[in-house]
Amino acid sequence: MNFFRSCENANHSEEKLLRYRVGQRLVHAVLATSFLMLLFSGLMVLWPPLLLWVRSVAPDISPGLIHRIGAVLFMAVPMLYLLVDRCGARQLLVESFTYDKDDIEWLKHAWRYFMGHAVGMPPQGRLNAGQKLHHAGVVIFSATVVFSGLALWFAKGYLGPAGLALAATIHGLSMLVLTVLLVGHLYFTFVYKALSAMTTGYVPKEEAMIEHPKWVEELEHQSASGKSF
Amino acid sequence: MALYAFLLDLSRCIGCEACAAACIAGNELPAGAQYIHLIEQTHGVFPHLTGGFKNHRCYHCADAACVKVCPTGALYKEDGLTRLNRDVCIGCAYCTDACPFNVPQIVDGRSSKCDACAATTKAGGQPWCVRTCPSDALRYGERREILAEAHARVEAIRARYPKARVYGEAEAGGLGVVIVLPDAPEAFDLPANPQTPLLLDVWQKVVQPAAVGLTGLSVLVTGVAAIIARRNHMKELAELRAQQAQTEQNAGAQEGER
Amino acid sequence: MGKVQLQISRRTFLKGALTGSAGAALALGALEEAAAAPSGKGATPWYYRGEIKRAYSVCDMCPWRCGVIVQSVNGRVYKIDGNPADPKSRGMLCARGQAGASFMYDPDRLRSPMIRIGERGEGKFQEVTWEEALDAMAQKLLAIKEQYGPESVAIFGHTSGEFWFTDYFAQAWGTPNASKPSSSLCTSPREEASLLTVGLPVGGHEPVDWEGVRCVTLIGSHIGEDSRNTVMQDFTRAWARGAKVIVVDPRFSSAAAKADYWLPIKPGTDTALLLAWINVLITEHRYDAEYVAEWTQGFDKLAAHVAEMTPEWAAAITELDPELIRTTARVMAEHLPQSVIVPGRHVTWYGNDTQRMRAVYIINALLGAYGREGGIYFNKSPYIEAYPHPPFAVAGSSGGCSAEPGAENGELPVGPSGKARADGARTKFLRGPTAMQELIEPMITGEPYPIKALIVYGVNLLHSIPNVPRTIEALKKLDLVVAIDVLPMEHVAWADIVLPEATIYERFEDVWTVSHKTPYIALREPAVEPYADTKPAWWMARELGLRVGLEKYFKWETVEEFVATRLQSIGYTVEKLREEGGVIVQKGKPYLSDFKGASPFKTPSGKIELYSEALALAGHDPLPVYTPVEEPPPGWFRLLYGRHPVHTFAKTQNTPLLHQLNPENELWLNAEVAASLGLKNGDRVWLENQDGARSGPIKVKATQRIRPDAVFMSHGFGHNAPGLSLANGKGASDAALITRYALDPICGGAGMRVNFVRIVKEA
Repeated sequence: MNFFRSCENANHSEEKLLRYRVGQRLVHAVLATSFLMLLFSGLMVLWPPLLLWVRSVAPDISPGLIHRIGAVLFMAVPMLYLLVDRCGARQLLVESFTYDKDDIEWLKHAWRYFMGHAVGMPPQGRLNAGQKLHHAGVVIFSATVVFSGLALWFAKGYLGPAGLALAATIHGLSMLVLTVLLVGHLYFTFVYKALSAMTTGYVPKEEAMIEHPKWVEELEHQSASGKSF
Repeated sequence: MALYAFLLDLSRCIGCEACAAACIAGNELPAGAQYIHLIEQTHGVFPHLTGGFKNHRCYHCADAACVKVCPTGALYKEDGLTRLNRDVCIGCAYCTDACPFNVPQIVDGRSSKCDACAATTKAGGQPWCVRTCPSDALRYGERREILAEAHARVEAIRARYPKARVYGEAEAGGLGVVIVLPDAPEAFDLPANPQTPLLLDVWQKVVQPAAVGLTGLSVLVTGVAAIIARRNHMKELAELRAQQAQTEQNAGAQEGER
Repeated sequence: MGKVQLQISRRTFLKGALTGSAGAALALGALEEAAAAPSGKGATPWYYRGEIKRAYSVCDMCPWRCGVIVQSVNGRVYKIDGNPADPKSRGMLCARGQAGASFMYDPDRLRSPMIRIGERGEGKFQEVTWEEALDAMAQKLLAIKEQYGPESVAIFGHTSGEFWFTDYFAQAWGTPNASKPSSSLCTSPREEASLLTVGLPVGGHEPVDWEGVRCVTLIGSHIGEDSRNTVMQDFTRAWARGAKVIVVDPRFSSAAAKADYWLPIKPGTDTALLLAWINVLITEHRYDAEYVAEWTQGFDKLAAHVAEMTPEWAAAITELDPELIRTTARVMAEHLPQSVIVPGRHVTWYGNDTQRMRAVYIINALLGAYGREGGIYFNKSPYIEAYPHPPFAVAGSSGGCSAEPGAENGELPVGPSGKARADGARTKFLRGPTAMQELIEPMITGEPYPIKALIVYGVNLLHSIPNVPRTIEALKKLDLVVAIDVLPMEHVAWADIVLPEATIYERFEDVWTVSHKTPYIALREPAVEPYADTKPAWWMARELGLRVGLEKYFKWETVEEFVATRLQSIGYTVEKLREEGGVIVQKGKPYLSDFKGASPFKTPSGKIELYSEALALAGHDPLPVYTPVEEPPPGWFRLLYGRHPVHTFAKTQNTPLLHQLNPENELWLNAEVAASLGLKNGDRVWLENQDGARSGPIKVKATQRIRPDAVFMSHGFGHNAPGLSLANGKGASDAALITRYALDPICGGAGMRVNFVRIVKEA
């Protein structure tokens, strides 16, 4: 079935381009939900007023349980991605860690992009260099947050003071990075009005032409040759 | 503000467990919870033996690792003692791992350990264990008085126990349970030098505030920036569209000229 | 539910704010209170739930009886503390005392009178009303009385209300066969030996003058594990003051760990050690010569008797270092007269126990300890009149650990139909209170006359009387078995009628009178209402008395009236006693100096009888003699038993709080022996005794703390009573393995350390 193997984003028109396939959107939704569960329950731990408020509205709620359910979902994301869109998963991993000359140039001018200036940035492919860095960060710090979290979850009683301190520190720092990444993520979504990519799956071709000219080119080349990979 | 402490005289303790029972009864501990455990210690080979009881309980470290790792503040220091407010505990059990004495337990999903009978002592009473100890192995009072008593007791038992010493005067920043030890700490299964890893301080004093702070900062910065950047982008788009329209117009004009 | 808790929580908050003592929670503010309450995890401490009511009573968790203050809120007891005015507790309590409320609120308690509907031992009962139960009991008792005489009813009793059955009812009814396990199964040897030697009982409160003692010797007395509150207080304070401590025990007990000298004696050889000590004291002239000359008789005979009993002689028997024996005797002597061998408590060990205890008292006399400050003081009973009842049908002989002197010196009490005790007193053994274990045989054989009914008040028959199979046989033969108890203990299953008792904190009880250095009287008032359909012992005894024609003894209607009458004799009322803190302390006459030259020793000679004419006349050794006891064959161990600090007899294993602290007993086994048997800590094994009786499984405690030739376990575990939901089936029962006992020919005590066990890995 094409749906599971192909990276083809064939359905596009003059106005709109298919940016994220349904599988990718599903994975993103699971990731976002689980991450918010984890963040929320984690914040209840860090910030007692939140805990007290939650307990006053929902006395039987267990932050620990939310955190554990969230953790299971969160850890299931890579598996889910491989299951529903193996190609997309591979593409994400490969692209996030591959940077060309344009990417380096783009990063040098990232400040401009941050301030809302997409026009005139060096030409980018499916992902711009910022997104690549973001994805790479998510991959790396998800791994550290997961492993330190697993240690805190299952190795309790065996860690000892030093092990606990290390695991908790890694867990906290990883989550800090991921949270800042999330804030940035939401920021760019807002600035470049990119939410539709994750809701409908489509982006206006016009925007894509500005931000990802190489990708649009590639898509057109693909549809011209009728080839998928 | 005065610091308070327990005196725990292991040379006198006779292992009767009255303290453990009084604690459960007076504090109405839930089934399974127990703040004081008496653990028999034996050294040597029959018939050349020494021994006694470890009175395993929260030692109320000044430099309390459990307080340092407690993310919710359920564990906190007050009057030199380590209190536990079970209401805000979420049962993460970091304290059980961090404690160099292996004291806190998770009972009913929340941390469980001695809080020095906070309510009774604040009302001017004595902790339940101290009140009932038949062998006068337990006292409670201002820490400097307790320390003086501990040193006096050590001097008094030195003829019997040459290795006798006060334990907890400086260990872990100074314990809130000052122990009259008749023998080396190891003989009572106590760490000679209870340590709190430096990383624990980093975690609580750097990572946690940094996490909240940096997250907040990023939200703040992006919040402000978003308005500017969004405007910039809209402007840029408008310019681009205008430019494109111009280009198309020019192209049309050129075609027209041709 | 949540709403109710929230309301309580708010009230707490208010109260806390008013008193400024609501504790840590208050500091964090109202939000937290409101937030915490519905979760139910941060419940309000009991002392904020309402007005605290205080009642004075006396603890019933062990027979030591510490004075307590019981704090209750809204009709529920939460905390029991020592009464600071009480000479025993002095404001402190042991673990068991602390668990009094836990014992009272044990959900397994008997709730209602019951009559048996299944076979005896099956445990099938029907709940009935008190009327039905007492009528049935009275009817049966009267029938037995009619046919066999009132002496055919045996009454066994122990715990706080025992007086009403083993003393008051038994004597009114007319049976001399009333018995307490605290005599022949516990303290008879030390009481009779004391009466024979110094003419005074040891009494319930061993009269060691701890405040001034400078050298304490314990023989098989494991203070700390035996957690009698006052004794622990006194012992540790004496120790801390620098008193020398000598401990003789085959086991490195908690007390041995505090000792300056520990003598890991071979079990059963204590008398040899004592004789060697006497030898050293005399041959080295280290005794208190002046005191001995003035207050003792028979010294020359004693000196001649022990002349050859040197430390070397004893060392070969006891497996102790002769120098250690010599040194310890010298240490004792160095500190005389503030030097004491503590009488101990449970001393029914090998059947020769009266003689051993005589040797103990002889040493105390040589040390000049009797009546000397820091030695052994003279107990005095508090002055208060008994209730003025009509003369009883028979004199009392149940004894107990506070047996009065003289009762046994004359004729045995005789019941209305002319029968004296059925326990073989004067034939099987010389003297002493009724021997409980010797009343079992007459139930089976009908000799010397049949015992047809048994009323058991608070005695677990199957955990206290040796030879359980014989007891079971007797239970099958009886015409009537009535069990009065708090919990569904194993013997309750054998009863025809079960009467549930209200615990001490649920009932008013006769004032507690203690023979002591400072004699005292303590109030026992209830803190709360009786649980379910339970009743106090006095009420049961009275209701029964009214039904069997003993109205004249029960003119009083309530125990409050009974107590008020007694208090009148000393110019007190219950209210006044309560106002004064629940205790009346009187002046004693503790020292020789208080007697102004008169002899306090109530022996025929008025002196301490080192040489006992009375024993010589009766054909017993007039001076203590060491007689070897049978030794365990290879591969077998002598079964030793004793206490765990949080448990009393077989009574407290099911008490939730105490069960949490110590849920099962362990088998102390020498570590090397364990290794050679391939056993390690925590392994579960069974024990089999010389008669094939088995008990277990029990956890192995491989330890250096015990000799290789003996094993030890704490008493009271291995319950086989399904109604005890926590304790049933936990650990092993020493009682089940004590099928053999050696009858003490002098006091009728049952020596129970004569059983051997081997370890088997499966049932």
